[in-house]
Amino acid sequence: MSDGVQLAQEASSRDPAIGLRAVRALRELAERLEALQVGNARDQGWSWQEIAICLGVSRQAVHKKHGGSRRILGKER
Amino acid sequence: MFERFTNEARAAVVRAQEEARRLHHQVIGTEHLLLAILETGEGAGAQALRARGVDAADLRRRIVGIVDPPGDDLDSAALATLGIDLEEVRRVTEASFGPGALDARGRKPTRPGHIPFSKRAKKVLELSLREAVRLGHNHIGTGHVLLGLIREGEGLAPLVLTDAGVDLATLREDVTRLLSSEAA
Repeated sequence: MSDGVQLAQEASSRDPAIGLRAVRALRELAERLEALQVGNARDQGWSWQEIAICLGVSRQAVHKKHGGSRRILGKER
Repeated sequence: MFERFTNEARAAVVRAQEEARRLHHQVIGTEHLLLAILETGEGAGAQALRARGVDAADLRRRIVGIVDPPGDDLDSAALATLGIDLEEVRRVTEASFGPGALDARGRKPTRPGHIPFSKRAKKVLELSLREAVRLGHNHIGTGHVLLGLIREGEGLAPLVLTDAGVDLATLREDVTRLLSSEAA
């Protein structure tokens, strides 16, 4: 068994302080990756609809979440 | 200073560095030495700790809980407890999207390669030599390093051991007994 797997089993055990913190860390990492990938998709000319389908969310949701920051960065009209 | 260290004790010192890296800590402290002793071989150190019910997973949780209060930035220690190597995620995203791709704001510099020992951890290694001399042994094994940890007394290692319900004086007697029977 790899160290990583072993650690995962250790940490997904019963201590809520550690387990919840791991969930939070995972969520933050996922958010960063999502922002990166959505930005890249828009830069490559993908529509909000296409991005939304890949992420499994509504077009409105993905636009609301990422459209604003891209406008601020001057990347969207 | 490692001339008199047994192969097992040397392996434990190497392992301590791996433990620090795995938890994304910047220095090797007494807590990483403790984990390494527990996880390396069948020496007096590991035996004594196991006999008192000390568990590596439990120790790691206690250490992470004390050393790494969660912050706003990406929590590499918490991700490590899930088996996710944040540095590896960083590496692959930066390979595609350039340096800093994963950063929200500023990023903590991480130390690749060699991780230095803390002052206290160095002191523990010196004390392990002194413990060996005191017991009349001409080699330093994991048991002597554990005695050094207990003797030093101030690092994170004795703290997490005590938190885990281990009586240090008793542990000290256990290790000394095991070492004496090893030497006999």
